[in-house]
Amino acid sequence: MLEIKDLKSRIGDTEILRGLSLSVNAGEVHAIMGPNGSGKSTLAQVIAGHESHEVTGGTVTFDGQNLLELEPEERAREGIFLGFQYPVEIPGVNNAYLLKAAVNAKRKHNGLGEVDAFEFLKLAREKMATLDMDPKFLNRGVNEGFSGGEKKRNEILQMAMLEPRLAILDETDSGLDIDALKAVAKGVNALRSPERAIILVTHYQRLLDYVQPDYVHVLSQGEIVRSGDKSLALELEEKGYDWVREAASA
Amino acid sequence: MKHAALSIDDLRDVVRRLPDNGLTPSREAALAHFHEHGLPTLRDEDWKYTDLSPVVNISNRWLTAGGPQLPHKSLRDTVDAITRSIDAHWLVIANGTVDDQFVNAITHRGIEVSRFSDAPAPFEMQRPLADLNAALLHDGLRLRITGSTDKPVGILVVDRAKSDAGVAQSCVDIQVEPGVSAEFIEYHVSDGDAEHYANSVLSMVVGERASVRHVRIQNRAIRHVQTSRTSVALGKDARLHMASYDLGGALIRNDLDIDLGKPGADVVFDGLYLAGDGQHIDNHTRVDHRVGPATSTQEYRGILNGNCRCVWNGKAIVHRGADGTDANQANHNLLLSEKAEIDAKPELEIYADDVKCSHGTTVGQLDETALFYLRSRGLDKRHATQVLTHAFAADIVLRSPVTAMTETITAIVEKRLAQLIEADFVSDVLS
Repeated sequence: MLEIKDLKSRIGDTEILRGLSLSVNAGEVHAIMGPNGSGKSTLAQVIAGHESHEVTGGTVTFDGQNLLELEPEERAREGIFLGFQYPVEIPGVNNAYLLKAAVNAKRKHNGLGEVDAFEFLKLAREKMATLDMDPKFLNRGVNEGFSGGEKKRNEILQMAMLEPRLAILDETDSGLDIDALKAVAKGVNALRSPERAIILVTHYQRLLDYVQPDYVHVLSQGEIVRSGDKSLALELEEKGYDWVREAASA
Repeated sequence: MKHAALSIDDLRDVVRRLPDNGLTPSREAALAHFHEHGLPTLRDEDWKYTDLSPVVNISNRWLTAGGPQLPHKSLRDTVDAITRSIDAHWLVIANGTVDDQFVNAITHRGIEVSRFSDAPAPFEMQRPLADLNAALLHDGLRLRITGSTDKPVGILVVDRAKSDAGVAQSCVDIQVEPGVSAEFIEYHVSDGDAEHYANSVLSMVVGERASVRHVRIQNRAIRHVQTSRTSVALGKDARLHMASYDLGGALIRNDLDIDLGKPGADVVFDGLYLAGDGQHIDNHTRVDHRVGPATSTQEYRGILNGNCRCVWNGKAIVHRGADGTDANQANHNLLLSEKAEIDAKPELEIYADDVKCSHGTTVGQLDETALFYLRSRGLDKRHATQVLTHAFAADIVLRSPVTAMTETITAIVEKRLAQLIEADFVSDVLS
């Protein structure tokens, strides 16, 4: 589904990704771990199309299509979802409006008509219930005055409504208490299916207790230095990231 | 720098040819006073960002042509479209002429309406543009609100210059009696390809414990020039909530003066200006806190795109002894183009001790992170830009004091914003 080959990127004069390769198939859950500054969030943003990152080498294809040629909104409509590490507060834009606009943009792209207002509300309320979200959040400004946990639940709500084929969750677990973490994990697990792939970008293995990954990759200095199954995450937790760095340079 | 002067001989001729309806003495007095002082220039502190050359040029062309009175019957369609779609007690000034039909149609017992010519008042010295207004005024509207009304009172000022340059004056005096609650819609609109200069004056006295909600919309044709002065004086414990929306015009200058001379007054006034290529919109506001306690709160917001310039100058003067004053000013600007310019200037002059004053001004671009966030959810760049600019304007639109107008304002703001943004996407394609 997603093929990344020798990807290189920079912000300004700073090289971030330095030849990263990764292959993700439908039905798989990949965890990307690594110390701060290793390039985890950059990878997530480059896949989603953030313009501040300049891709200087390599290829990214999504179902055979050159992803790097597409605008961020085209990638979204093709079925890529990025859950933000820091979801943006947009006062004055109603949460329900954004959800509906997002769903309709995708439906239009797929040759479908706009979603029926009644059906939309019904679906949104159902999804919110599974995430323990108060339906009142629908009528508030996007992430406006939300707590950290509420913002992350809101990201998962958007994901649940958009039903992406590839979801990339950038440190969705950071700053969550145990209840919010469980709610988020529940949302992610509900999305797992043979047609979908999920990439979890995370600093700690805590989330992986609730969402079991098929593969774990360790990123260091813009490259994947180690890949393994979920036991790698536990090993990392025990030995720390220095162990990976030492092993990589050895 | 001094712009060319208004041709005073031509002006005198035109003033003297106006029909004598009892306003001749005040016109002559205003003309004399105007002649003495002339129009302000860039050297005047209050006018340093706004050059009145277009006013002089249009006026001189019109004066040279003999100052023809523009027909007002031809504006029927525009008048009908507005007065029939918005439910209000409408009064109409079309191309500078008070429309008698609307005056006569007011039958609500809480509204007394008359023309200046019904009981001419002596001329009082004013500022130059108001002098010019008084000198060239055909007739004005006098309103007294004596009881609460079932719906807003609407004042429609509509102009059209068809082929030659036109000039039109409008003047409205409003008195809201003590304890009365009233709503006003002030709507300035125009069309036509020729250049036009509209000069408007509105004064309002809000009586003791009276409460006024006032919406002002300026949606003039893109080549039209307007100057306006709005003066409001509030009585004891009176309340005023006002909002101004400036959407059109080539050169717009609004002066809003609020006088708080009695204790207990509470004023909130908001403004929104949307400017695109070639537009210049200048809002000067002044609040005089003469006694305390009293509260004034203003927030103006602007969205600027293309080669345009806006000015916001908010002055609050807390006079000696006006203890217990609470004055707040805010001005926020969203610049969508590198060619757009905003001159924002809060001014506080405080001569009392026990006061609370605040001011804040921001100038920023569209938030790139928010733009990416929306695009990553599938909204295209244009849609995302629209959503973010709307959100910026939303507070001022939704706070509109006359709820009956919120829908109309939302629609015209949306339309204007779409035009402003559209210009960018068209030029993107062409470049």
